Amino acid sequence: MAVTDADVPPPLLDIPKAKEKKYDRQLRLWGIGGQIALEETHILLINSGSGVTGVEMLKNLVLPLIHHPRLRCGVGGRSRCELLHGRCLAWQVPGSRDGHAITEPLETFITKDDVFSPYNLIVAAAPTHANILERIQTHSQTLHIPAFYFHSVGYLSSFSLLLPPAFPIVDTHPDSTATTDLRLLRPWSALSQFAKEKAEGLEDGTISAPDKAHIPWACLLLHYLEQWKQQHDGKVPNTYKEKSEFRNLVRAGDPNEENFEEAYAAVLKTLNPPTAPSAVREIFAAPETQQLDAASSAFWLIANAVAQFYAKHEQLPLPGAVPDMKAQSADYIMLQNIYKSKARDDCAEVVTSVRELEKQTGRSPKQAVDEKEVENFCKGAAHIHLVRGRPLQIAHAGQIIAFGDRAKAMASELNMPESLIGLHIAFLAWDEYVATHSTPASQAGGVGLKVPGSGADDFGIDTQRVTGIAHKIVDSLIKEAGTFVEDPEYSEVKDRVGKFCMEIVRAGGGELHNIASLTGGLLAQEVIKVITRQYIPVDNTCLFDGVASRTQVLRL
Amino acid sequence: MQRRDRGIAQSLGLPLTKCVKESRVLLVGAGGIGCEVLKNLVCCGFGSLPGAASSKKPGIVAHQEAKAFVAKETASQFNPSVNIDAHHASIFDSQYNVEFFETFDLVFNALDNLAARRHVNRMCLAADVPLIESGTTGFNGQVQAIKKGVTECYDCNPKPVQKSFPICMIRSTPSQPIHCIVWAKSYLLPELFGTSEEESADVAVTEGDSADEIAKLKEEAEALKNVRRMMGKSEFAQEVFDKVFHDDIERLRSMTEMWQSRKAPKALSFDGLKAGLETDIIEHGRTLTDQDQVVWSVQDDLAVFTYALDTLSNRCLTGEKVIEFDKDDKDTLDFVASAANLRSHIFDIPLHSEWVIKQMAGNIIPAIATSNALTASLCVMEGFKILRSQLGSVGGKEEATLGGAKMVFLNSRSTERMITTQTLAPPKADCPVCSPVYAKLRLRNGEGGEATLQELVDLLKEKVGHEDFAITTEAGIIYDPDLEDNLEKPLKDYVTHGNSFITVSDEGDEAKVDLVLSTVTQSGEEAELQLLPDSIMLPFKPKKELPAETNGHAGEIRATPEVVAAPTTTSSAGAKRKREADEESESVKKRVMASKSEVHVVDDDGAILLDDD
Repeated sequence: MAVTDADVPPPLLDIPKAKEKKYDRQLRLWGIGGQIALEETHILLINSGSGVTGVEMLKNLVLPLIHHPRLRCGVGGRSRCELLHGRCLAWQVPGSRDGHAITEPLETFITKDDVFSPYNLIVAAAPTHANILERIQTHSQTLHIPAFYFHSVGYLSSFSLLLPPAFPIVDTHPDSTATTDLRLLRPWSALSQFAKEKAEGLEDGTISAPDKAHIPWACLLLHYLEQWKQQHDGKVPNTYKEKSEFRNLVRAGDPNEENFEEAYAAVLKTLNPPTAPSAVREIFAAPETQQLDAASSAFWLIANAVAQFYAKHEQLPLPGAVPDMKAQSADYIMLQNIYKSKARDDCAEVVTSVRELEKQTGRSPKQAVDEKEVENFCKGAAHIHLVRGRPLQIAHAGQIIAFGDRAKAMASELNMPESLIGLHIAFLAWDEYVATHSTPASQAGGVGLKVPGSGADDFGIDTQRVTGIAHKIVDSLIKEAGTFVEDPEYSEVKDRVGKFCMEIVRAGGGELHNIASLTGGLLAQEVIKVITRQYIPVDNTCLFDGVASRTQVLRL
Repeated sequence: MQRRDRGIAQSLGLPLTKCVKESRVLLVGAGGIGCEVLKNLVCCGFGSLPGAASSKKPGIVAHQEAKAFVAKETASQFNPSVNIDAHHASIFDSQYNVEFFETFDLVFNALDNLAARRHVNRMCLAADVPLIESGTTGFNGQVQAIKKGVTECYDCNPKPVQKSFPICMIRSTPSQPIHCIVWAKSYLLPELFGTSEEESADVAVTEGDSADEIAKLKEEAEALKNVRRMMGKSEFAQEVFDKVFHDDIERLRSMTEMWQSRKAPKALSFDGLKAGLETDIIEHGRTLTDQDQVVWSVQDDLAVFTYALDTLSNRCLTGEKVIEFDKDDKDTLDFVASAANLRSHIFDIPLHSEWVIKQMAGNIIPAIATSNALTASLCVMEGFKILRSQLGSVGGKEEATLGGAKMVFLNSRSTERMITTQTLAPPKADCPVCSPVYAKLRLRNGEGGEATLQELVDLLKEKVGHEDFAITTEAGIIYDPDLEDNLEKPLKDYVTHGNSFITVSDEGDEAKVDLVLSTVTQSGEEAELQLLPDSIMLPFKPKKELPAETNGHAGEIRATPEVVAAPTTTSSAGAKRKREADEESESVKKRVMASKSEVHVVDDDGAILLDDD
């Protein structure tokens, strides 16, 4: 299943009752569409080490699924995983054992050609040999299958997402406070007219007291904006100072009525020019939006059409929702209808452009873009998001890791005392240690990999080794970034990285259950976001320091 | 060392591993978070792990009781050497008194309701046991470590109270869908199939409600009770419908002054609405109830209403005495959804699908497994820190608060900061719950357990050195220098459970801090009444920087309906100040009179109503 396709599953009305009841609480987070996407997922987990984190993640994914999941959990790796895996499913979801454990040794399993094709998401646990990781990376990039790679050692953990080069999200679930978009600075005639009618008699005092107390605050603001414009050469309040002044003008209208109070409170939040956020403008300018062809996914087609709309009207299509406000019911419904009807008109205009684009690109009518999808896009246009997936940083024995265009950002992150980038580098060094100490059999995945600190007397010497590798990575990173870090900062950087190294060697590859459980929770959370294509996923590495109970997300 | 312990010991270090294995831990609640916490505890080697008590709300469905046992069964498989003791009972039960709590090194709260959280918070303060409090909502979660005298307690910061609506807004002048839903759920359904509205916490008489209107509403409810007698007859649905959606609406409509600034409602008639419906109305309603994602038409609502009324009536006639709203009882949900929509239509309020109404009526909090898993892991992490702090300082370093425990916030929806922390704040000096000194009061029960209030008063005078003071229990103030009517009554009249709290507030000029006595009833040979420790030296209250007496009394003591609902909290920052506040602002005044079982609320300004006469 190619993931570049941004198709959102249509809402289903006839979902079985028992299922709905059981999953009622989560359905309210990601809807039926998200639930169906989850149920149709086939996940491959390549587990490793003691394997607790991977199993915890699976448990969290099995729980939100249905009695007869089409989820297939492949677990390659040590035989112990099978046991853990079976337990995981039995733990809280007795009915759901559709997932199966792959007991075939990793070395033969992984070399088959189409081994990844049944899956639409791959999760790999460290330690995984660099060769196998490269193989996963290649498959993931060719088939556009998202992949995750994680570490969980003692108190520390991290995971990285390998997403397709373009991973657009329409349904980002923005905070409800961020979605109010009333276009008060750019009212259209129907809205202006309505506001004028409602505020009739407000200035000369001929309006009745109850009518005055029920002017919806949106209308009040429009009324006073007109007044303001007359006094300010047709300009609207722009700066904070002007907006404060305007706010006082509104309050002076009637300091006692609730609707005036609501209007006063809404000034700073709602009087914003309808400019699209920069992230959205970047999507408009993206090559995928600009260069459409017959195979372009619906997302890019709609993005192009909305970009045209934006170029023409200098505003995005109207979402159309009206927040609750003090008003007579009839007035409120009328106001809602004014917004709904403008939103419908805007959407219709975008649909027309989409149809035009379909013709131009020679898209087959069978693949016509669903109008519902255009509607969703228009509603959330200000909050659409595009993640540009990045490759994993894979440590090979004796090779210097190239950080490319992230080198500069990473090097400057090194200097931040609070940053967890040192943990990322420590894990890279840990991986390199594993790669260096591997045998031909372990390279192929046949026997367990040797992790630092796992032998009885390894702690001291392995700490030195891992720290040495980590310091080498720090130096090459600074060099690649073309910067220079002076003492005492340089020593401090090395100190911080060294402390993380010591801590992960000390754990000797062992997992602490609650940290594994937490990392499994975070992983499952991101898997859900990626699969449902709702909410914005981590981009692209999440680091967790259990000692300080703190996460950091870095784009690496 | 067993193989399974090796990884744990490597991370935790030997001293802490030993401490973890030997610890006694109490987990309250075996739901979403609780099961995860239990699994983590077991897998992290919390060796002897007695007492996973699944607290449940009093009087709730029985299958929840099985939870603790199921959790124990499953968790034991993970680590057979672990010793788990499962209790299925309410955490409010008298067996879980302060002495029970004292036997633990650590308590985890994994609860879903405010009342039980507050209770465990108090019990832990009284027993001086560290508590790890947790909760989740959707993608968010929170973990807070609590220790008496060291950190803020659960009640140091006010919690949002359940919203209640003015009665007139529900019964006469609704303006939002929720008003109609509350009407259907807390008025119509109970009037027809359950207990009456007076007992619902959703609705309260407030200042804005006019007395005349309330009297009228009482008559209306009486008339509805007459209609209820027709249950089982074929015309029952029509009678109910025409009563509440026609006659009552017409009456409201006739009160013209009410509609000067609002749109007047339009009454519906059963026959008028039914006209044109070809199929059997009950059957039609039944099929509609499966389509809960669409907004039904008004005629559809009539059909569902008729069907739901028929179904509920049959249940009533076949022996169910009381049918209460439960979001998972589809029949009651069908009834509430259709009735709410019909009423919304009458008042020109937008209609909703049953699915949406379910969320509003059932106060459904979105939840997912991942947040529970994350929060539970963070709970156990904080648990490690607290246990480590009990080991004493390692290497001569100065110990951070509770071993470095933090207030941890989870926001896994965010992509930047998913887990963040905040330093634990010291206790609030004026917190009504954790600022008092806690002590135990042993009462002998059974034959001869007849210690009177007088004896307690004498005991306090002798052992604590109090002179002017007030005694408050869950029922309200039972003794103060001006209230001596109860002195001859047996104490057990006021101490209903074995684990209740008695607050003693100094009323002298230079007041000492409050003393909270947790009661422990026991049979045996000891004295009737015994204070533990035997004598108590109370410090003086910290001086207020500003005399807050000048304004805002009502706000300060939180004189909201919550005060009536949970009277223990009124014993807040000293009963003296509270009483003054009452007399000055005439807000909430509440006393238990000589007649003990009836609670009289002296309702001075009509702000709060709770008259049981």
